[in-house]
Amino acid sequence: MNVGLEHFQIVSAVLFGIGLLGVLIRRNIFVIYMGLEMMLNAANLSLVSFSRFNNDLDGQLMVFFVITVAAAEVAVGLALLVALYRKRQSAHVEELTTLKL
Amino acid sequence: MNLLSAIFLVPLLAAVLIVPIPRTIRWGIRLVALMATFVSMVLGLALFVKFDAATAVNGFKFDYMTDWVSLPGIGLTIAYHVGVDGINLGLVVMGTIVAFAATCLSKEIDRFEKEYYILLLIMIGGILGAFVSLDIFFLYFFHELALVPTFIMIGIWGRGPDRNHATFKITLYLSLGALIALAGLVMLYLQSGLKTFDLVALTGHFQAHPMGEASQRLIFPLLMFGFGILVSLWPFHTWAPTGYAHAPTATAMLHAGVLKKFGLYGLLRIAIPMMPAGAAEWLGVLALLCLGNILYCGLVAMKQRDLNFLIGNSSVAHVGFIFLGIASLSLVGVTGAVVLMIAHGFLAALTFGLSGWLRQQTGTTEIAKFGGLLRQLPFVGTFLMIAMMAGCGLPGFGNFVGEFMVLFGSWQAYPVITGIAIWSALVIGGVYMLRAIRDVLHGQMDEQWKSLRDADVFRRVPVVILTVSLLLMGIFPRLLTDKIKPDVARIVASTKTGGMAKPTPSSPTKPVVNSHEVPKAHH
Amino acid sequence: MQPTHIAEYLAPIILFLPLAAAVVIALFVRDDDEQSAQFSIGSVGLAFVASVTLFLLGGGRHEIGATWLDVGGLQVSFGLLIDDLSLLMLMIVTGVGLLVQIFSKGYMKGDPGYSRYFAFLSLFTFSMLGIVLADNLVMMFVFWELVGLSSYLLISFWFHKPSAADAGKKAFLTNRVGDFGFLFGILLVWAATGTLNIGELATKLAVDPHLLGAGATCAGLLLFCGAIGKSAQFPLHVWLPDAMEGPTPVSALIHAATMVAAGVYMLCRLFFLLTPDALEVIAVIGAVTSFLAALMAFQQNDIKRILAYSTLSQLGYMVMAVGIGSPNAAMYHLTTHAFFKAMLFLGAGSVIHALHHEQDIWKMGGLKSRLPGTYRTFWIGTMALCGVWPFAGFFSKDAILSSALGNGAYCAFLIGTLVAAMTAFYMTRLVLVAFGGVPRGDGVFGCHESPSVMTRPLWLLAIPSVIAGFWGIDVYLAETLPGGHGHASTWYEAMFAPINHSPLAAMFGLLAVAFGHAFARRLYANAVSDPLPLSAGLLAKIMRDRFYFDEIYAFLIRISQGALSTVADWFDRWIIAGLFVRGVSGFTDLFGRALRMLQTGNLQTYAFWLAAGIVVILFLTLPGAKGAGH
Repeated sequence: MNVGLEHFQIVSAVLFGIGLLGVLIRRNIFVIYMGLEMMLNAANLSLVSFSRFNNDLDGQLMVFFVITVAAAEVAVGLALLVALYRKRQSAHVEELTTLKL
Repeated sequence: MNLLSAIFLVPLLAAVLIVPIPRTIRWGIRLVALMATFVSMVLGLALFVKFDAATAVNGFKFDYMTDWVSLPGIGLTIAYHVGVDGINLGLVVMGTIVAFAATCLSKEIDRFEKEYYILLLIMIGGILGAFVSLDIFFLYFFHELALVPTFIMIGIWGRGPDRNHATFKITLYLSLGALIALAGLVMLYLQSGLKTFDLVALTGHFQAHPMGEASQRLIFPLLMFGFGILVSLWPFHTWAPTGYAHAPTATAMLHAGVLKKFGLYGLLRIAIPMMPAGAAEWLGVLALLCLGNILYCGLVAMKQRDLNFLIGNSSVAHVGFIFLGIASLSLVGVTGAVVLMIAHGFLAALTFGLSGWLRQQTGTTEIAKFGGLLRQLPFVGTFLMIAMMAGCGLPGFGNFVGEFMVLFGSWQAYPVITGIAIWSALVIGGVYMLRAIRDVLHGQMDEQWKSLRDADVFRRVPVVILTVSLLLMGIFPRLLTDKIKPDVARIVASTKTGGMAKPTPSSPTKPVVNSHEVPKAHH
Repeated sequence: MQPTHIAEYLAPIILFLPLAAAVVIALFVRDDDEQSAQFSIGSVGLAFVASVTLFLLGGGRHEIGATWLDVGGLQVSFGLLIDDLSLLMLMIVTGVGLLVQIFSKGYMKGDPGYSRYFAFLSLFTFSMLGIVLADNLVMMFVFWELVGLSSYLLISFWFHKPSAADAGKKAFLTNRVGDFGFLFGILLVWAATGTLNIGELATKLAVDPHLLGAGATCAGLLLFCGAIGKSAQFPLHVWLPDAMEGPTPVSALIHAATMVAAGVYMLCRLFFLLTPDALEVIAVIGAVTSFLAALMAFQQNDIKRILAYSTLSQLGYMVMAVGIGSPNAAMYHLTTHAFFKAMLFLGAGSVIHALHHEQDIWKMGGLKSRLPGTYRTFWIGTMALCGVWPFAGFFSKDAILSSALGNGAYCAFLIGTLVAAMTAFYMTRLVLVAFGGVPRGDGVFGCHESPSVMTRPLWLLAIPSVIAGFWGIDVYLAETLPGGHGHASTWYEAMFAPINHSPLAAMFGLLAVAFGHAFARRLYANAVSDPLPLSAGLLAKIMRDRFYFDEIYAFLIRISQGALSTVADWFDRWIIAGLFVRGVSGFTDLFGRALRMLQTGNLQTYAFWLAAGIVVILFLTLPGAKGAGH
């Protein structure tokens, strides 16, 4: 079977959908975080595939940026989350309502 | 520096000057404010004396113009343009006098004085700036500059438990009015295609090339209602009594006396000369609505149990006469309206000043709690009585001259409304003013007021100045009318040229059909 | 305009002297009672001397003025008009004013508002002279209002007394109702003729009698409304009796001699404007007023109120005279009435002063011997008022009656005669009860005659009250106003002129007086209480309660203007400020609450809306998304 652009895109879309669903419905903040990463990677996959099939390296360039930013974000975000977990002994979003009115 | 610019820049500069003064030096702050408004008043009087109706540059005297923003690329120019003619001269002079009086009477303020005086001076500068500006951008800008301190002052230094509600109400109403008027002004600007906000240029343009009647019919009511809300046109008037009843004395004096006239001024200066056809169609409506002010608010004033609400409602009722004079579009009526604007400014300042003193001394303005105060407070009582008498149209005061001219001028266009207005001026006005005198000043005095003190010199000076101004206007009305007349004549004449017919006497609201058909109807 | 004649110099001086006195008193000498009185009396005295000088110099009609207002078609001058009519009135106002002010010096002694009183009196004199001298309708209206103001200030002079404060308010407002008509009338006249100057109006109307068009009667009647208010004619008569709350000299000057006569003066000034229809209405109003007021006077027990109702009645007489077309008879009666009514009021003031503010005639009695000077002058005044020959009232009343006969106004003649009888009745009752009989009140025993500063003005007023009838005032007026007959040359002939000229009128007049007097003497000679309530019962009560006009008006005002203002206030409070304003704010609030439901604070919900929004945007914008087939 000839693997074409559509296949990559479908995989990317499925990945994005799973990630989004995770962000929207899960209550554990770590899982939400993983969902976010999954969405980022879905976008990366889509970009790389477009780049490959259009013979244009711009897309891959962009992916490097995304990966860099994602790494930085993971470093900061996870650190925050761990600190938060230590303080509150919970990773459940509905219990983290200090800022809510 | 140009005399006109000096008049409003002095208070604004003084506001800046107050900033570095430490707040503990209270007399210093007050002195700066008093000096600034006094200088401004002297300059205003000088302006009045030097004003000569005979010499005119495009109808304006002391005309000064310089570009402020000039972007030829997109074709936008905003000019700093000031000037006076007969219509705003009196308002400016009255404004400076009331400003000085209000500053004198601000002695009652006992907290955040520094901020108070800064705001007061900004408000004064804004008011005077709005009345001398001949560029619509600055006209509007200065008006807003004066409005914002008004809101803050009512909110912070206001009186009574309901002052937050009053602040809300007055802010929302006035913002709404200003916004509607702004929409009208922007549309006016777009219609002209001149890419300028200059009032003289725009007026000249629209008189040479009248705007399409459809657009006039659309834009005029926007300005009429927008400005109308600012002047408490019925039924958009309820902010006025509430707002003034809760405002600090000086704010009420300045707003009711001077700033409020901005709407009337705009109507007369912008809306009517630029859109005579729209005016012909809508002024009949205005005449009907002003009956709401004159009659209805007079009746409401009769029922008030609070002195400040009574004065507030009577002030709204008086404004109705100004509307009637403007709506008549006759030389006598409009001149009377301008005179009345000035007289009402002095009177509103006087009554609010005196009632503010009463409130500060007694802590209440409820009429039922007073009585017999004339004996205890001979000065305040006498002048309150004088103010009340001026308010019910007694000859000898400026208000009589104005109302008299308005009634004589509007008779031709609106006979029925004029008849009702005469009744309201003489009888209804008399009823509520005399009731106030009877219940506040006459009769038996309650024991608790035995310790009241009469006004000190800071209260006496402004009260006397305002009263003398009213008397001068009433006894020598030609001081004003001779200066007002030529410019009103220009406006009135402009509404009758350019193929526009004036409202026919029998049916003022009837739309003007065709200019050549109207004369036939008269045969 | 430059003054050229001496009259044109003197007139402004006469006008402004009292104003100057008022200003000086108010600003500089208000703490010095003696100086205040001197300034005030001095100014009115000088004005009187100047007026008499003008009169003696005589000579024609002068007008002087400056433009007061000139805008478009509205030209108003501050103008003074000196002619025979205004000269006569000038002398009455300043002359009576001078005597009343001298009397006041004694009467008001020790009052804490002494200088305020004289300042107000001077202000009043200024305003009244303004009406007299005004050469155009607007000036007349201006001073008309100022007179109303000074009357208000003087009625409520003792403002701490609720009744005085209320009376002042009532007087001012009732006058305002009349002024409404006056101003409206001025407006109509101006709209029709384009001028406000009285002289010009007369000229224009002489050229074209139909200048005023269909509204002529209406305009005339509207102007008459002003007179109804100021001269307290039916139906606006209710304020005058209450105005007696003011100090008694004020009642004498303002509410008997001068201000209330302003309406009559105005009618005489503007007589040329009045159409026959308007005159008819005026005559009816005058007749009704004079009759009703005389009826009300029957049963009053307050000495000042009896005089007040008698003033009303006499004013009705004058207005009726104008209505039947003889303004000169009206002015004649106005002149004589000013003298004797001022004297009667001052006499009443002297009595009240002596009895320490006792005003009920049934608590007096026996004053004849205790206050001899007051009694004699009061007696002269009563004779004059009733119209006994040869006192002044006889001649002026006879002038009215004979011109009623002459003009064929028989109804007016009958009512006039009837009112003359009634006048004799209630005045005899007053004199008998107050001065005759035995003392009925404690105050009477210790009382003694007032000081000479008070009795001398009484005697000075008594002189014209006796001789004004054959002084030649009627001859003087006949040259000024229409409808007169000047016929006598010597004072001796003048004394008998009415009897020779119109014996029927004179006879009826005298008979009526005799009848009224005899009837009252039968009832009240040595009476200790009023016998009428017993015999006349309900009728007497109705008269005493003044036909319930006050109550009816209070009711009418309550159901009309009062109800309207209640409705307006309710509407303002609940509909405009409540329903509309709060409605708009409430709606905005509700809308905000609804929108707040979306702001859950739940991040995942926001994310969901974000994602959903993106999906919708993508769906709408991506090409080919809508056409699923492609």
